[in-house]
Amino acid sequence: MKMIPPKSSCSFFLFIAVTLAMPAATQPTVTSQIVTAANTFLSTLDAKEQKNVQFAFDDEKQRARWSNLPVGMVPRAGISMGEMTPAQRSAVMALLSSALSKTGFVKVQQIMEGDEVLKNGTPANPPPVGPAGQRLTADLFGKDLYYISILGMPSETAPWMFQFGGHHLALNVTIDGERGVLTPSLIGVQPALYTEAGRTVRPLGPESDKAMALLNSLDDSQRKQAILSYKLADLVLGPGQDGKVIQPEGLKASAMNDAQRTMLLDLISEWASIIHESAAAARMAQLKADIDETWFAWSGPTTCVPGRSITAYYRIQGPHLVIEYAPQKLGGDPSMHLHTMYRDPTNDYGKGL
Amino acid sequence: MILRLVAAAWIILSAAAVASAHRLDECLQATLISVERDHVLLSIRVIPGVAVSSSVISSIDSNRDGIISQSEQRAYAERVIGGLSLSADGEGLKPGLVSADFPTIEQMREGIGEIHIACEAGLPDGGIDRRLVLESHNQDTATVYLVNCLVPRDPDIRIDAQKRNEDQTHYELDFARTDSSSASARHGWRPGMRDAIWTQGTASLFRLGMRHIAEGTDHLLFLLVLLLPAPLLVMGSRWAAAADVRHSLLRILQIVTAFTVGHSLTLGLAAFGAIRVPARPVEVLIAVSIFVSAIHALRPLFPGKEAAIAGFFGLIHGLAFASTLGELGLGLWQRLAGILAFNLGIETMQLAVVAATLPSLIVMSRTRAYSFVRVGGAAFAGVASVGWIAERLAGLKSSVDIVVNGVALHAAWIAAGLFFVSLVCWRTQNCRAAKTASGMPSAAGP
Repeated sequence: MKMIPPKSSCSFFLFIAVTLAMPAATQPTVTSQIVTAANTFLSTLDAKEQKNVQFAFDDEKQRARWSNLPVGMVPRAGISMGEMTPAQRSAVMALLSSALSKTGFVKVQQIMEGDEVLKNGTPANPPPVGPAGQRLTADLFGKDLYYISILGMPSETAPWMFQFGGHHLALNVTIDGERGVLTPSLIGVQPALYTEAGRTVRPLGPESDKAMALLNSLDDSQRKQAILSYKLADLVLGPGQDGKVIQPEGLKASAMNDAQRTMLLDLISEWASIIHESAAAARMAQLKADIDETWFAWSGPTTCVPGRSITAYYRIQGPHLVIEYAPQKLGGDPSMHLHTMYRDPTNDYGKGL
Repeated sequence: MILRLVAAAWIILSAAAVASAHRLDECLQATLISVERDHVLLSIRVIPGVAVSSSVISSIDSNRDGIISQSEQRAYAERVIGGLSLSADGEGLKPGLVSADFPTIEQMREGIGEIHIACEAGLPDGGIDRRLVLESHNQDTATVYLVNCLVPRDPDIRIDAQKRNEDQTHYELDFARTDSSSASARHGWRPGMRDAIWTQGTASLFRLGMRHIAEGTDHLLFLLVLLLPAPLLVMGSRWAAAADVRHSLLRILQIVTAFTVGHSLTLGLAAFGAIRVPARPVEVLIAVSIFVSAIHALRPLFPGKEAAIAGFFGLIHGLAFASTLGELGLGLWQRLAGILAFNLGIETMQLAVVAATLPSLIVMSRTRAYSFVRVGGAAFAGVASVGWIAERLAGLKSSVDIVVNGVALHAAWIAAGLFFVSLVCWRTQNCRAAKTASGMPSAAGP
């Protein structure tokens, strides 16, 4: 091997390093911000915590370890917000805010806040109390019971992912270079309407209102196709149903007019735009190209109380998309307890990249 | 334990009163239908809600021993299948059980256990346009149904319509056989989606293979009983003294390898659809294979040909493995990788079992106590196999599963105990031999 004089090799590597660092320094990409946020979070953990949080990128079991159920029933791996120091918690929130869009980040925070409301109850609807006076909801619900895990090493070039979730929330975020993938993710909420500082909050309000508006925009023959004749008690492709493709049903968007197709895309964007803006733009472009092959199906009541959420099930399915919206009758009022699922059967956990 | 369960159920019920997180007083039965060229596969998930779980559990655990045995699993799965009526173009079909996968009783008590049942039925020949009708009933428990058809993997099958009554207990599926060009022209996006249907990781198939052996006590029993006489030499029509260690090891290696080659072959063929054998005869033959090897362990039936017998019966065991893999419905390349992973899983588990028992067998075969172990083991396997044959052939109820699974639960302790006993026997025999030697100066003296 030919020896390079030490001094010149130093300056050579320095040159390479500076050259490589330049584009990043001048214009930090979204991915580099996410990677930095993930590494910052990891650096707040001690060795044992890091071990608990980190998994192999292709750990199928960990990938599939998510659910709509409370953490107390289906334990998640990783570490929970409740176990973290304030600094660690804010590092997690910084990671979420770098990987999600503004609206997506707000939605996630509102879902977690909803679970806190569920834990604490309201004066009219207090939580159940055990024989020793302890609050039985404390280890089932609440903001503290959201977990984070990181699969693979945060990288700007190689694929990796992180999971954040608990009751009614399972975000699976895969980052591969500049691409970001949010499928499959479960987005739910209970209660679907609550007040915070005197303000009414509906974390999944647009998901209901935009769908209701789309249904109302259909003419009689379109409605006849869109509205299914049977009841759907639950998600068809909920947790554990990765990669499955069911026969689409309902009204095909090719039979919609332009305005209706725009409404449908706008409804889809409630899920597709949870991920950060540049990934969402790419995703929306893909879904727009698919729109004529996309189906809209509805089951259940075709009206809703103004200001409340629909109690009907609906599904949007296309070549790269399955969205299911399934109100749950448990808890009494289905408009208050919502499960939704967001999938791309060709791209679970970024496998299709 | 029971207190903890009661407390958990109570907490969930109380929490459910304000804000239930999941299904409560009913079962969810979700069925996905895959239509293939010559058969239909139904994948059924049964999820009992927390308030009905105890009645579902007691209907599964029919002898109330707190363990869901394999025969109880099979019986419950058969009942669920019995609650379906399936027909093609008006002709009734009899779906046969392919696999059943049960959660723990504890998971079911908490209302989060999913029972997975797969069954399939052959499609009789018919015209181009076909109609499949599925009616679902569950007499035991209030149940809500979801029935859907998967996008067919076969591009020549086109789904035309799905019709259901309001509660999805009556489901009609119209489909047609077409030629590929017209089908792909009409549904341009399907091929890509088809590839995505099964993205089952190879790692999970590896684990499935391991579990299949660990839980498939009949496969293990066969292998263990065949190994019992392997360290011995035949004298006349009886088992006699131990062969030397190298010879024993070689023979055991041959047996395990032959078994692997046999089951890999049929597993491969069946997974690619080259052969298709119904599950019941295969299960009966597996029980017969245990019976034959148990007799062989008592009196040599085929001395020196154990490897050939292991290879032959391996072919049959492979067919049973294939039904597990076949239900996953993988594509060609995924199948190749899948078979490899699944087989490696089986092999790993098998080797672990052989490694755990082999030293004891070899050590003990050098002592007189070995004939007790050999005869005892063979008798146990023989009785179990007769029970299985009766159960699988005539549908007789027997408690074989309970006993064998009970024994298998303590496998690690039994293996450790066996090793300890083998050391004790070895030591006793050596001491006695040493004493005898020192008591005979004429032989030992100068």
